[in-house]
Amino acid sequence: MMQHYPILAIMTYFLGAFLIVIFGKNRTVRNAVGFLATAVPLCLLITLVKPVMMGGDIIAYWMGGRVPAGGYAIGIALEVDALSLFFGLLVATAVFAAMLYSFSYMSHDDNEPQYYTLFLMLCGGVMGLVLSGDLFNMFIMVEILTFAAVALTAFRNSVFGALEAAFKYLVVGSIGSSCILAGTIMLYAQAHTLNFAQLSAMIPGNLNLATTVAYALLFIGFCTKAFLVPFHPLAADAHGAAPAPVSVLISGVLTKSGLYGIIRLTYILFRTMNLGTVQFWLVFLGSVSMFVCVTMALAQHDFKRLLAFHSISQIGYVLTAAGLATALGVSAGLYHAMNHTLFKGLLFLCAGAVLHETGTTDLDKLGGLSKKMPHTTVLFLVGAFSISGIPPFNGFASKWLIYQAAYQKGVESGNIGFLLVTICCLVTSTLTLASFVKVTQSVFFGQLPKEYENVREVSFGMRLAMGLLALLCIVTGLFPGLVTTFLTEPAARAVFGANHYINAMMGAGYAESFGLADMLPVSFYSAGVWSPISWLCLLMIMLLAVAIVAVSSKYDQVSALAKTAAAAEAAAVAGPRYGSGSPAEGKYELFFGGEESVYSQVGGDDMFWGFKHNWRHYFSFMHNLHSGIVNDYALWAVIALALAMLYAMIIL
Amino acid sequence: MFEKLITESTGKSPWLFHINAGSCNGCDIELVAVLTPRYDAERLGFKLAGSPRQADIVVVTGPVTKQSLPRVLRAISQVPEPRCIVTMGSCPQSGNVFRGSYSIAGPLSKYVHVDVDVAGCAPKPEAVIDGLALATKILMEKRGQKK
Amino acid sequence: MTIVMDGLRYLAYILIFPGFLFCFLTGMLLCGIDRKLVARMQKRIGPPILQPFYDFFKLLGKETIVPAAANRTVFLLAPLVGLAAQVVLQLFIPVFHFNAFRGVADVIVILYLLLIPALSVILGAASSGSPYAGVGLSREMVTVLSVELPLVLVLLAVAKTVGNALGTGLCFSLTDIVNYQIANGSLLTRLSMLPAAAAMLLIIPGETGSHPFDAAEAETEICEGMLAEYSGAPLAVYKLSHAVKLLTMTSLFVALFLGGIGGGVMTLLSGLSPAAAGAIGLVLEILILFLLCVVLVAVCVSLLHAVTARLRIEQLFKYYWTVVTGLAAVSVVLAWYGL
Repeated sequence: MMQHYPILAIMTYFLGAFLIVIFGKNRTVRNAVGFLATAVPLCLLITLVKPVMMGGDIIAYWMGGRVPAGGYAIGIALEVDALSLFFGLLVATAVFAAMLYSFSYMSHDDNEPQYYTLFLMLCGGVMGLVLSGDLFNMFIMVEILTFAAVALTAFRNSVFGALEAAFKYLVVGSIGSSCILAGTIMLYAQAHTLNFAQLSAMIPGNLNLATTVAYALLFIGFCTKAFLVPFHPLAADAHGAAPAPVSVLISGVLTKSGLYGIIRLTYILFRTMNLGTVQFWLVFLGSVSMFVCVTMALAQHDFKRLLAFHSISQIGYVLTAAGLATALGVSAGLYHAMNHTLFKGLLFLCAGAVLHETGTTDLDKLGGLSKKMPHTTVLFLVGAFSISGIPPFNGFASKWLIYQAAYQKGVESGNIGFLLVTICCLVTSTLTLASFVKVTQSVFFGQLPKEYENVREVSFGMRLAMGLLALLCIVTGLFPGLVTTFLTEPAARAVFGANHYINAMMGAGYAESFGLADMLPVSFYSAGVWSPISWLCLLMIMLLAVAIVAVSSKYDQVSALAKTAAAAEAAAVAGPRYGSGSPAEGKYELFFGGEESVYSQVGGDDMFWGFKHNWRHYFSFMHNLHSGIVNDYALWAVIALALAMLYAMIIL
Repeated sequence: MFEKLITESTGKSPWLFHINAGSCNGCDIELVAVLTPRYDAERLGFKLAGSPRQADIVVVTGPVTKQSLPRVLRAISQVPEPRCIVTMGSCPQSGNVFRGSYSIAGPLSKYVHVDVDVAGCAPKPEAVIDGLALATKILMEKRGQKK
Repeated sequence: MTIVMDGLRYLAYILIFPGFLFCFLTGMLLCGIDRKLVARMQKRIGPPILQPFYDFFKLLGKETIVPAAANRTVFLLAPLVGLAAQVVLQLFIPVFHFNAFRGVADVIVILYLLLIPALSVILGAASSGSPYAGVGLSREMVTVLSVELPLVLVLLAVAKTVGNALGTGLCFSLTDIVNYQIANGSLLTRLSMLPAAAAMLLIIPGETGSHPFDAAEAETEICEGMLAEYSGAPLAVYKLSHAVKLLTMTSLFVALFLGGIGGGVMTLLSGLSPAAAGAIGLVLEILILFLLCVVLVAVCVSLLHAVTARLRIEQLFKYYWTVVTGLAAVSVVLAWYGL
């Protein structure tokens, strides 16, 4: 029975999409179908955790029962190892939360049935991609998800720039998809098979120019899906225009499919390639994405565009960590990928909540919403602390592992480059904090503009979806041991245990018949210590102690003296009053050097002047580089492809 | 808790907030002189605070012009209790040479209760320190009444 | 029974030593000594050394005004969380042989735990709605950014040096770093660590926001910046966290570079019985730590305060990312190649 779960999970999404097309006119039916179509796959995948993650099983499903014969896999297969399941779980969770949120968020839009149809198509595409065991099947899923994502980007086509963003995405996304197709064809021509397991058995012995170029093509193809540098401008445009739940899908889910492709490709299909140089390629690309995008984010003045750039920056972390080619690194990277899905989903939903209530996401116009939307503020702060790596939230747990892994790798290899990578990671994390301080001050704190006086808290359904993600952020941050033991370490083992994967699909002894041995001894040792629960207990005890002292010394109590003094003063001063007369007036106003307090918000775009001034040449260079013209971006894609192919040829 | 300690401490750490209500700058300079190494009021715990929220003693200089009056009153009202108001120089007490001018709204005691007056044009730093010490005592008394 | 005893012991660690009470007393004392020293350097008599205590208790007795524009909960809660996080951080910094909570946080975690108090001030300031606070928090964040890079390099340099010596390649545990120094002499005696120590000396005033790196709290230009709207007890709590931060940063320096002094203390007491040596040793070590902290405060906080004028925020950033980072980077590279 268990072996049918993966295909059921994929089919439920597609089935839901078709049902909504047919019966979607009625809101209740539509919501019920949407809910079930996202909840069922989540449950199915959770039941797979026990055998796959803990038992180390690999679930193989051959469509139509066409099992391999004579050592050749002809049929289409789904194969779920710990890595696939890990990404599948991420997808299912994020999709579920986004669906919950959509119910009330999208209720004012036209064409709701179409929205849900596209939404579920996208989910099905990503789920199919990560669970697939067949390269061509993967390409099909890439096409489905790309076109669904393009359509969803332009879903609110009345929004300024939505069609343009979708067009850019379409152009560059198509280049990426074509790369994947070309790479698939080249591999097929070489190995006469499309099955992952069989490919990963055959390619390591047959590395030649064609297969390495195919690697470069596939790699660039998946890079476009993950929006890594130089494809990052697409993400910013797409996120800026798309509805918030779609942003969650694009950032939390779609980029993961690209990452999944890269990891699967590098560590399982092409695992005998010159690892040192591939590693350099991945780590370099990851670090560049990480740093460039965080600085780009600092310069943004739109909430959602800022989040979009951070999203790529975090993907850069994952790629860097995964590129370290150590078990600890891959485990840390996957941990961060999971956390990214959770906190970035949460942050996009918060941005959506702000947009829903105020109608804008412009950081220069917003302010002071914390008094009107207290729950959203708290949820946003959880997400912001998580992404900035503040202990004890989940972003810290994974980033901390990444630092350890990077520095340890540097120490082991003696390569000073990894020291730079560690420093880059640490500095990027602080820059992330800076830009979220900017958002916090510009949107939720500071002063409330007059036009947002009537803003209300968002509906319960939206808060529920955000709360779910926030809870997961906190839990995965407080129990890093559980997460690594049950989720990321099995997945990392799967990454380094290709033989098991091949044999599960093709029959025992198949991998050994090609003379393949598993790559590395898998060790998750890390030098550092961090126990969030103990720290939290200490903090709570300390906070309690401080609070008791504070309360007993009348913290936060307007003293009785103040009132009597005011009364006495009013009686004592008998003279005529002038202007705003009474001294008691203005007591609770903000201090403006004695002036009447007026609206004056410090925030928005240019908040960290001191930082940006020193980097002004860099920022103006970046500003000129990001022209917003789709021709330029397509050109970047082609250049990146050319470089990747050249590099692949050199390292062969 | 710490009631006695707090009253004691109130006398030992008075922070000043200085408001210029149209002063000729003479008194302002003298107030700064009080904090220089020669007189060093910091040995008594005096400190200039940047914001009225953190002040205990408000020092007003100048004859309180009509323009400055609402600002002075607002700034004074933003000082948390217990607080003391000290006028420095003759201007805020009587108007001094500006008395009778169309632009003068003073003296300050017409609008708020003034605790200490330090007279002089400008008062000597010794006199200022003396006045501030007196204000500190009043501050302690105000704090002591609180219970 | 042992569980109860252990519980009480840990409670004592948290509340008395090296927790709340110790932090409160030493931190405030360090602050007072700093003010006295600055005054003496400027040929003033200066406030009494107990002045910070007076300030603290006076502020407790003042009215707390919460501006109408502020978010009340955050405004009042932020200082408390900041203080608690600051004191908890102090628990993880060993006092030579004595380490109350090993195995909770390593050096990298401490780097991030240092952000929490800064962040709580920032959030408190943001919640007040004051534009002065807005400018202040923007500057504070840039200061944090500036200090973070050299601090990372210093920590990595120490981790690598100790790791090389221990043969593990890298060592992130502060306890191990101190123990290594107790056995083999302080890291400050190594030439390769001198630039890192110098960088750390410059980081301390930056982290604690003292002259000339106090652009964030410039009381003469932006009315105390982030604290512009704070009065009464919350302000007292902020002043206290600031004082504890002074203690934390200086004792972090002692742990990173001067840990070897603990070894000397123990050889002095070698004639005594182990129990007596332990007790006397602890008292001596606390005293030595305090003295070292005072010396550090005198060198890098008071002296700099007395002789420099405030830097503009962009000058501050540039200074840290060039001069101080350069110093720390020299150490890292030397440590990397095993020198």
